[in-house]
Parts: sequence; C-alpha cells; structure tokens
Amino acid sequence: MSIVTPFRARLLGLAALAVLAWLLPYRLNIYWISVTDTALLFALLAVGMGLVMGTAGQVNLAQIAFFGVGAYATGILTTHEGLGFWTAALAALGFAIAAGLVVGLPALRVQSHYLGIVTLGLAVAFLDWVTNAPVTGGDSGLGGIPVPPLFGIDLSSQYLYYYLEVVVLAAGLAFGYFVVRTPLGRRMRAMRDDSLAAGAAGTEIGVLRMIAFLLAGVYGGMAGVLYAGQIHYIAPESFSIADMFLLLAMVIIGGRRSLAGCVLGAVGLIIAQQELVNLAADAQLGYGLVVVAVVVFTPTGLAGISARLHRRRARGFAGPGGLEPFQPSALDGAPVPAASGTLLEVSGLVMRFRGLTALDGVSIEVRTGEILGVVGPNGSGKTTLFNVISGLYRPSGGSVRFCGREISAMRPYRVSQLGIARTFQHLRLFRNLTVLDNVLVWMDRTRSGWSWRYVCWPWGVWRYDRALQDRAWALVRGFGLASFVSALPGELPYGTQRRLEIARAMASSPSLLLLDEPAAGLNADEQRQLAEIVRAIRDSGVTVVLIEHNMGLVMSLCERVVVLDSGMVIASGAPGEVARDPTVLEAYLGRTPLSGLPAPQREPTEAS
Amino acid sequence: MQSFFQTLTSGLSFGAVYALVALGFSLVYRTMGLVNFAHGAVLTIGAYVASTFYLSARLPFAVAVPAAMAVTGAIGLVIERVLRPLENKDFDLMLIGTIGAGTVLEAAAILIWTSAGRGVPSPVSAAPLIVGGVRIGAYNLAVVGIAAVAVGGLTVFLQRTKRGAAMQAVAMDHEAATAVGIHVGRSNALAFAIGAGLAALAGSLASPLLYVSPTMGDSLGIQGFAAAILGGFGSIPGAIVGGLGIGVIGSFAAQWFQGYSDLVTFVVFTVLVMIRPTGIFGEQTVNRA
Repeated sequence: MSIVTPFRARLLGLAALAVLAWLLPYRLNIYWISVTDTALLFALLAVGMGLVMGTAGQVNLAQIAFFGVGAYATGILTTHEGLGFWTAALAALGFAIAAGLVVGLPALRVQSHYLGIVTLGLAVAFLDWVTNAPVTGGDSGLGGIPVPPLFGIDLSSQYLYYYLEVVVLAAGLAFGYFVVRTPLGRRMRAMRDDSLAAGAAGTEIGVLRMIAFLLAGVYGGMAGVLYAGQIHYIAPESFSIADMFLLLAMVIIGGRRSLAGCVLGAVGLIIAQQELVNLAADAQLGYGLVVVAVVVFTPTGLAGISARLHRRRARGFAGPGGLEPFQPSALDGAPVPAASGTLLEVSGLVMRFRGLTALDGVSIEVRTGEILGVVGPNGSGKTTLFNVISGLYRPSGGSVRFCGREISAMRPYRVSQLGIARTFQHLRLFRNLTVLDNVLVWMDRTRSGWSWRYVCWPWGVWRYDRALQDRAWALVRGFGLASFVSALPGELPYGTQRRLEIARAMASSPSLLLLDEPAAGLNADEQRQLAEIVRAIRDSGVTVVLIEHNMGLVMSLCERVVVLDSGMVIASGAPGEVARDPTVLEAYLGRTPLSGLPAPQREPTEAS
Repeated sequence: MQSFFQTLTSGLSFGAVYALVALGFSLVYRTMGLVNFAHGAVLTIGAYVASTFYLSARLPFAVAVPAAMAVTGAIGLVIERVLRPLENKDFDLMLIGTIGAGTVLEAAAILIWTSAGRGVPSPVSAAPLIVGGVRIGAYNLAVVGIAAVAVGGLTVFLQRTKRGAAMQAVAMDHEAATAVGIHVGRSNALAFAIGAGLAALAGSLASPLLYVSPTMGDSLGIQGFAAAILGGFGSIPGAIVGGLGIGVIGSFAAQWFQGYSDLVTFVVFTVLVMIRPTGIFGEQTVNRA
C-alpha cells in the first residue's frame, strides 16, 4: 500500500500535466503560442545542458552551437541539397552528435574553467563560420526551409507544431530521466562528484565524458531541427553567445541537478523575457540581478529548494534509526578464489615525483587469503604504494603483477575491473549521491560499451538495474547501513562514513581489498567492529592489504606486516617479530636506546 | 617579409591589451579563486567612463584613463562584496554568478550611455614610426609602453610592498594567511579592485583602436580569458605571454583567413590547450588520493 500510493500519485500528476499540455494551446493567442514553442525548444536544449553539466559535471558552453549545427544542417540540406525534411533532420542529428564529440574532445584533457573557455571559444568559432560562409547565407541567414510533413498534419500551424514539440520534449525528458536514474547516469553523477574515486570504482572517465557530450549534441541537434522546421528561416543571431548565457542561466536558476528544474528554468525565463521585451535594458538589468541573487542565495536553484524540503520531510518520517551491527552474510556473494599462492606481486617499484623519490625499489608479495599490514612513519610512501597499485599513478620503474598479469600500466578502471578495490585515507564518498547510489556505482561492473543498450535495448538496462538494486540493498543491510540508504554521506556520523567506504568497495566483489587507514578517527568500539568486518571479509575469500597507524589493530589483525620507511621496505614478517626489529624501532623512534614494543599510539612520532 | 612584420606588430599591440585583460583575470583568480566572467563588462564600463571623461569632460587622455581606473576600481569593490559567497566555490556557480553580474553592468552601460557605440579619436597625433619599411602607429607603441609600465608596477607592488606580499600569501593559502593575521577579505577586495582597474586600463587603451560599445567587453573578455589560460591561469608572466600570443595568432589569422579569424584563433587555442592543458607557465598539479 505504502509503495503503491506515491507511485499512483506520480502517475496522476503526470496525467494531469499531459491534460494541461493538451489544453494549453486553446487558451493562447498566436503570439503566445509561438513564444511557448520557443520556450519548449529552449527546454529541450536545457535538458541537454542539465545532462552534460548538472549530471556529468562537464562545463559546456557550446550547447548553443549544437543547436545551431542542427538548425543549419537541416536548412542547408533541405534548401541546397533538396533532401526531404526528415532525411535532412536525421543527417542534421548526426552532424550535431559529431559536433558534440568534437567539442567534448578537450574534456579528455581539461576540466572546469579551462573546459569552459575552450567550449565557449569553439562556440565563437562556429558563430564566426556561419556569419562568413557562403553556404550558410552569412549575415543575411538562410530562408525557405520547408515545413516538415507529418502524416498530412499541417505543421505550418504554430498550434499543431506545439504538439510535435511537446511530444519530443516529453520523450527527451523521459529518456533523460531514464539515463540519470540507471547505471549510466549514476556513473556520470559519481564522476561529477569525484572523478578520481569514480575511476577507482571502475568507471571509464574519458568515455563517460564523451557520452555526456554526445547526449548534449543529441538534445541540441533535436532542438535545432525543430527550430528550423518551426521558423523556416535561420540567421546567426539566434545562436549568439548571449543566448548561450541565457541558456546557462535557465539551467542554473531552474536547478542544474534536476532535469525538470532545467525545463522549468527555460520556460520561466523565456516567458519573463517576453513580458519584459519592450524595456530591453531594464529587463536585462533585472535578469542579471535575479541570476546573481539565485546563485548567491540558492546555489542549487529552484529544484534544489524543493529537493531540500522533500529531504527534510522524508527524514521526519523515517526517524533517525541508527547503525546496525555488521552481518557476515553480507559477503555471501563474494567470489572465493580457488588458487592459493601469490595474488599480488610488487617488485622493484620506483615512484618519483620530480625530485622526490616516494617509492625506492619496493618489493612486496601478497599471498592469497591473508591480511597483510603495511606500516611506516608518515611520508614513508604507503599511500603512494596504494595509488600505484590501483592505477592512479604510473610508476617510474618496477612492476606490479596481479594474478600473474602486469597491471602497473593500467588505468584505474581496468584495475578495478580485474578485482582490486580500495578505500581512501581521506574518505572519497560521492557526496551528492545517496548511500545506496554510492554502493550501486561500485557494484555496477559493466564496461562503458555496454551503454549502447540505452538506445537498442532499454528494457535490458531497466532489468539489470533492478537486479543491481536488489543486490545493493542486501549488501547495505548486511553492513548495518539499512536506515541510511537514502541519506547523503555527509549526513552520516564519521564512523558510519568509514564503514560505508568499506561497504561500497566490497560491492565491487573484489578479490583484493586495499584499506588505507580504515581505523583513523574511529573510537574503540568502532575499531573493534572494524576488526570484525575485516576478518569476515578475509574469511569470505578476499585478500586484504591494510595501511594503518594503529599498532594494536595491526598486531591483532594482520598475519604479516611490511614496514616502509623513506620509500623502502625495511622489515617484513610476523607482527611480533617486526615490532622487535631494531631497524623498525629506529625508523619510528629515532636512534634511541629504547627497547621493547613501540607503544601502540595513534600518531607515531616523527622523531627524525 | 615586410608584411609579416607589419602583421606581427599589429598583433603585438592588440596582444598588449589582451595581456592587460588576462592580467586582471589571473590576479583575481590566484588571489581568491574566483573565475570572473564579469571582467569583460567591467572593461566596457571602464572604456565608457574613460571616453566620457576624455570626450565630454574634455580631460586629457592621460588624466581620463586613471580616473576611469579609479571609478571601476570602486565598482570592483562593490562587486567583490556581492560575489564574496562564491569565492573558492563550485565553478558552475561562479560562472553563472559572475556572468549575471556582467549582465547587470552591461545593462547599466546601455541605460547610461544608450546602446549606440562611440568612436574615440586617437589621443596621440605623432606620425607613425617607420622601421625597416614596417609602419608602427605611435599610439600602438604607446599602448605597448603603457601596458609594460602597468605590468612592471603590478610586479613591484606584489613583490616589494607589504600589502602585495600579503596578497601573495592569501593566494598561496588563505587559511594560513588568516592565521598570521592578514585580513583576507580586505586583501581580496583590493585584488578585485586592482583587477577592475586593469580592465578599465585595457578598455580605455583599446577604445581608440576599436570602438566603444556595450558589447565591446564580450569579445575582449573572451580573448583575454583565452590568453590567461594559454599562458597558465593565475600566472603573471603567463598572462603577458598568453596575451601577446593570442594577439599575434589573431592578427595572422585575420591576415591569412580574413573573416574567419575568430574561427582560426579559437581552433588553434583549443589545440594548444589540449597539447598543454596547464598553459605555458602553469603549475603541474598531482592528484592526491
């Protein structure tokens, strides 16, 4: 009952919206219907922007150029080449996609404001081309674009054209939501929040960025085609940089993280612009002030306000519910590697950062099924070692072999897909994804090439996602995090965030788990729970390598310990032996005549 | 060969203007982590104010320009106060927030000076210099000279004065700067005001070369931003080299490809950024996990 009601409510809401959209033209005069048509086109553009910027976090200031490519390609192909409208439209969509991919290329190398100025520059370049090239008609534009034929419906009527646009927008919005809420969009959101952690989770960052720009191209191209079919005449001023900024304002004011927010922003700003059209400069002044105010006071836009209210209410209903005990059954699905022997072999590993040598010929062997501790003073190269193994850094020398395969030149996503998962010393949870989504990103083991199913076999995507959700729920429950599923990581207590970081790493069903200071900041009780979890993970057949400063924990948990100092292995063996090794004592405590075990302290003194 | 040098010199004088724009971007960015897309609009305001002092108030150009710099500097203080919540924040927000501020300024320019542009006669009437057959306009030479003086002055300020050193400290680590007693807010405000003053200088120097109009800052702003990125965002020498570079690329693009100069400039720029994302003087940063 409680599951059906909100679903029904949503269905009713959608039906009401459809009826409203159907009836709307009956209430509008010819002027307002053409304004509405324009607003719908901008809404389509804004959805594309929402996907590339809000969802994938890729700054794209060339969306207006994709719009232009779609419109101009349709115009040129119908008027110069004499193609039919829909044939031209299809080709135009292809051109827009190509434009999206070309503009997206720099995203492989640069991000943030660098990407912003490059994409803006390319939009200026496009504008320069259309104002000069003979084929586009230059400044005077391109006219005589035919009315699209559609089963005898007269689309020269702005009223009937409205329905075509509503249908396309609804389809575009539905597809957009489908992408955002299933594996592809989830990965994009993860990449937006933390591309480094997303890579470690098995996401091909580069391919994903290109897919994001491809989607932007599709939406831009569709809007361009529809624009050409609606107006029959196109000129460079419709694709100006000012329009690009207007589009950007729509997306930010509406709320870039919500596609519905983007649509709302687009429709709202176009209507506001028409209302104020007679007092251009005043309107511009007002619009600028509104933009500044929205950005300063409500950074997540209008949709963000409603989402925040929603969350607050949801929290009220669910009650605070706490962290539950870990159940070893959570790990039932994990693979048990049959082979015994060496799982990971690091030999002669060297890592230099300009002058600094962080790792200086490190050789470590990790045996299948053990818990290996890596200890050493701060700055001894422990985390660098993990970063090299997990593919974040490419080593300056030496080799890393996993299950007999050389992995030192592999990208992080490949390493993750081979079965190595890691946690981070300073938690790197995806901060705008719920706990469940954080787990789902790591659980999704598909390659990016899998995404063609979104076009050809969406039903398969849906089913795969359902199955993934069921497994993620089981894992989250097993890790005692069930009452936090829809919380954001930042809302959880610190110790719980640490546990989530381990849970999501285990979601990737690794055969080797690298834990980077998992006990940092945990209280005694949480440390005990951590030890229990790590043992259960090992018992389920997963090999564990653990960096830790807490000597008590290392002593009780690890079968073997490797000690690093200044990028070199200075000792290895059973914890008891290592702790009495004079070189180790010297590394930790300096050249002092102390004897016995180093005191189990949180922060080892940096005596030297 | 002669036409090559002719193109080069004209590129360098525009490049000097771009360098000043880039300098403003970089100074503000490195001090407070704000990517300021309102910079172009500030430049427009500066150009209008200077031309008003020069043409309507009949002040000498050499007085009108510093006066305009002071006025825009004051406007900069106001903008900085409004946009302070965006500093060191999410880039999307800065982008649209500063674009919004730019829109406000541009609208204000239209309301005050109408949307019709105005031409500014060259304040230097000396005959062009002819060196080896290459004509160098006296005003173009003056632009390069003034830009060089401005850069020198800024460098001395940043390296030799206490306030300048404080600004550098804030640029490196604003929390540590706070801890040693630097008033970060005041330092940022000063940096923003200097940036705005540089924009006014660039705008007023460019106005005899171009044409003062409400959208003048759009194109200069984009070129200047590209120059800053090309040189290495946040770097002072980078802004100069990047500015001269964009100026020269644009000048040759206009010579060889006529109308398509923007197209060529930005395609070349894109390729350069992809080859060297950190720019010429940019810092290589390492991902830390």
